[in-house]
Amino acid sequence: MAARTTIRQWASWTAATAWAVSAALLSIGTLSVCSGLIDLFKQGADSPTLLIMGSAMVFAGILLVGRVQNPDNIRPADVLATTTLGVFLAVLLLAALYLLTGAIQSPDSALFEATTGITTTALSVIDPRDLGYGLRFLRASSQWIGGFAALLTGIIVLPFFGFGREFTDRSNSANHRPLVPDKWSGVRNIALLYIPCTVLVWFGYMLARKAPFEAALLAMSTLSTGGFTNSPTEFADPAVQWVAIAGMILAGSSLVTIWHLVRGGGRPHRQTGLMLYLGLHGVGVLLLALWATGPDLTGLRQGLFVVAASISTTGFPMSVPGNWAPAAPVLLLLLISVGAMSGSAGGGLQVRQHRVLMKLAMREMARQLHPRAVLKVRLAGRIAREETLRQIVVLQFLFVAVVFATALLVAVLGLDLVGALSAAIHATATAGPVRTLSGEIVDPINWPSSVRMALLPAMIFGRLSIYPAVLAIAALVRIVGNRIRPRRRYLARRHRASS
Amino acid sequence: MSFFETKWETTTGHVAGIALMFVAVGMFASAVLEALGGTHGASILLAAVLTLVPGASLWLFTRPGQVDRATVFNAVAGTWLVVSAFGALPYLFAGTFQRSGITLPVVFADALFESVSGYSCTGSTIFGSHNLISDQGPGILMYRQFTQWIGGMGIVVLVVTVLPALRASGLGLIGAEAPGAGGDRLAPRMAQTARRFWYLYAGLTALIAVALFAVGMSPFDAVAHAFTTASTGGFSTRDASIGYWDSVAVEMVIMIGLVLGAASFTLHSRTLSSHRPVHLEDPEFRAYIWLLTGSTVLVTLLLCSEGMGPTNALRAAVFNVVTLGTSGGFGNATGPGTNGDFVTWAAGPQMVLLVLLVSGGCTGSTSGGVKVMRLVVGLSHARRTIRSIRYPRAVLLVRHGGSTMAEPLVERIAGFMIIFGILVVSGTLVVAALGTDLVTAFSGVIGSLGNMGPALNKAGPTASFVDGFATPARLVLALLMLIGRLELFPMLLMLVTPYRTLQERFDFHRA
Repeated sequence: MAARTTIRQWASWTAATAWAVSAALLSIGTLSVCSGLIDLFKQGADSPTLLIMGSAMVFAGILLVGRVQNPDNIRPADVLATTTLGVFLAVLLLAALYLLTGAIQSPDSALFEATTGITTTALSVIDPRDLGYGLRFLRASSQWIGGFAALLTGIIVLPFFGFGREFTDRSNSANHRPLVPDKWSGVRNIALLYIPCTVLVWFGYMLARKAPFEAALLAMSTLSTGGFTNSPTEFADPAVQWVAIAGMILAGSSLVTIWHLVRGGGRPHRQTGLMLYLGLHGVGVLLLALWATGPDLTGLRQGLFVVAASISTTGFPMSVPGNWAPAAPVLLLLLISVGAMSGSAGGGLQVRQHRVLMKLAMREMARQLHPRAVLKVRLAGRIAREETLRQIVVLQFLFVAVVFATALLVAVLGLDLVGALSAAIHATATAGPVRTLSGEIVDPINWPSSVRMALLPAMIFGRLSIYPAVLAIAALVRIVGNRIRPRRRYLARRHRASS
Repeated sequence: MSFFETKWETTTGHVAGIALMFVAVGMFASAVLEALGGTHGASILLAAVLTLVPGASLWLFTRPGQVDRATVFNAVAGTWLVVSAFGALPYLFAGTFQRSGITLPVVFADALFESVSGYSCTGSTIFGSHNLISDQGPGILMYRQFTQWIGGMGIVVLVVTVLPALRASGLGLIGAEAPGAGGDRLAPRMAQTARRFWYLYAGLTALIAVALFAVGMSPFDAVAHAFTTASTGGFSTRDASIGYWDSVAVEMVIMIGLVLGAASFTLHSRTLSSHRPVHLEDPEFRAYIWLLTGSTVLVTLLLCSEGMGPTNALRAAVFNVVTLGTSGGFGNATGPGTNGDFVTWAAGPQMVLLVLLVSGGCTGSTSGGVKVMRLVVGLSHARRTIRSIRYPRAVLLVRHGGSTMAEPLVERIAGFMIIFGILVVSGTLVVAALGTDLVTAFSGVIGSLGNMGPALNKAGPTASFVDGFATPARLVLALLMLIGRLELFPMLLMLVTPYRTLQERFDFHRA
């Protein structure tokens, strides 16, 4: 019996791992092939490397998919842990492409750039003007695929295999088709929303007089909340700023809400989460106008841009000249921590989690006065399970723990206190750009290499909503622990000595 | 029945009245000291009389009424507010914070800040280069130390010792004021429990005073510092705090005193009754010692890597880790920029101190912060939740030491931490909006909510809070100190009773 259980566990683990590895190989391979073709079309020098490497990855991925035998049941924990493995492998493959093409010389910078790409964190150590068309496409599309992976994680993987099952949009009713009736239909529906939205923003940028290729890269960065730009003066034109603002707000909105609105199943003002998300923008703009940008129209526009870039965690850079009040950077860090709506490609702790935390705080106050009252937390018309509430509380706890641990590490490695706290929050929320207290944008290339490396785990933790990464580490520790088993050895030795 | 025989039914008024009389006794003692060696004896005497009269009036003309949970919160929070306000009178009348170029409201705000900081055992101070501690008379100095001593164990706990009329609601009052997840019962009657807490506390204070005297402090300084060590308050009678003595022996006594003050007094009681030390059997205390030891080692190593000598690094690290980890807030810097001045350290060790500002000491102690027990239970809760994803059908429990924690208690702890987080974030934004930089605001808010004392950056161990925070920001911090000292809920829910009373009287809910 025990042996059968072990075999089942092993089958579940290997199948999940094989799926994650093949997904990483196929996605990065496809991106590489597409980038190689674009480079070939534009007569760049990177096309052979990108095409050969990409084809090899795709071939290996297809080979692996063909050989995977699905067991009866894949355990949820295995799916979550191997999601992390998949993301990590995608980072490694992308870093290898940067190194092989010579876009980046040092492995640590390649790893940093690949991680910021896949995790859609708006921090970069390369100058896009030095890159060919293929590599620029690869960099932007890595964010786009990272954003798609984040959507799949947030809308399908976590609710089906982790927490928040009651918030999955699964129920069929008379006049409503759900976004995620089952896993594969969910993937299809998400793609059906994500791709047209990207195309829409692409057209928007082209209408704002951007060249088609630049507009495509920018659209991919916008919808994925990645924040990669083609040049420092990308957003000098107010028309481009407006398109970016609309794109960022769209990217930070929940795909479930958008699906409801598109399918005619709801009205915008009845969506509490959406109203909160938009209200957060309004309050942010007003406060930023008060503390940094000024109340004139240009200032308000710049303020809205910075606020939208912070809340959606896109992180497009926008220099805001003038005297920043001490509260302005605090406000931006707060907005970044709050983050976008759940079910979007944005990072941060996300709006739904904050709503739950606020409701839990109110419930705790009520419980202080009525200790025996049975009080339930409702969200979106549904009663949240106590298990889900616990998981959200622990998520907050882990988020803060990751921020503090990362800040401690980067402070030890050389950043000042403000820089350390700011970099840790940005990395965990997968946002950018890091600013000084006076509002100037910090270039991560000026950080020591060790600091950049220390930020990578926080980015992956943040991008995967922490739980999958924690489960992956727990699995790794268990594997290593089973190999070494120091405690068991110690106990055995003690037992021998005593007997 | 004549007017003087009428007694209004108000628990808050009755408890506050007795508390004010206790405070007045302290003021009288300080007035005597000031008369002997200072110039403001009459001022402190006037403050004592002005505190005693309303206190006695409230005691005489009120009686404790119905005590439900909302009333308990109102009584405890109301008492603390009244005591803090009257506690500012000696500073006001003695003109302690009068300096050139500031208006009367600012003087009042400063006096209130110092009073709240004292009673809440926070240890943040207005004194600095513009208002030297060394310029003050012995009465004011001892009164300042006394505020922390009386606030350390709790004013309401003191009231319960002499108020048997409260009967069973005494546990609620003590529980609402005591640091930690709930009040422990040391004796069958609550008044006996409260008295036993105070005997232990007084005994520990006496022990620390004798030890400080033995290592070279004057009797006055020894008693004064014993008050603020046992209460983990952190006020000192010297501008350079403990750095004035520049003595390892003094620092050792202070550190041991702080650790004992930050340990559960229930453990001290059990140790005395069982005649053997039981501290290390307690999982919270063990975790606490591990936290302090680990932080000391880490800070020492980081300071050594910055070029500080190993001995100096160890001394600076261990003192500052203990003083912040216990929410003491003393400083051992002999001046700005010296080894003990942690705001001049590199960012790494400062981050460790920032974590310690959050953690605080043990439950049932005089220390502040989130408390180690909550952090340990929080970690266990996180571990359980992660395991529940791996084993969705398993029944997993939260354990603390060898015992299983009840789910309602785990939820209460989680709720406390959420509200603590909300207060830190919103407080930081408000304080920053009032003109404070990010690090000073963040650490100042955490320090105030956790009753720690010094903060980072502009409000370090050698600086005054006047340098780091504008007057409105200091008032916000004072409010946070009171909220933190009462473990959040009493202050946040104190208006429920008045609201209900108004609702019943005017029936506006129905209207």
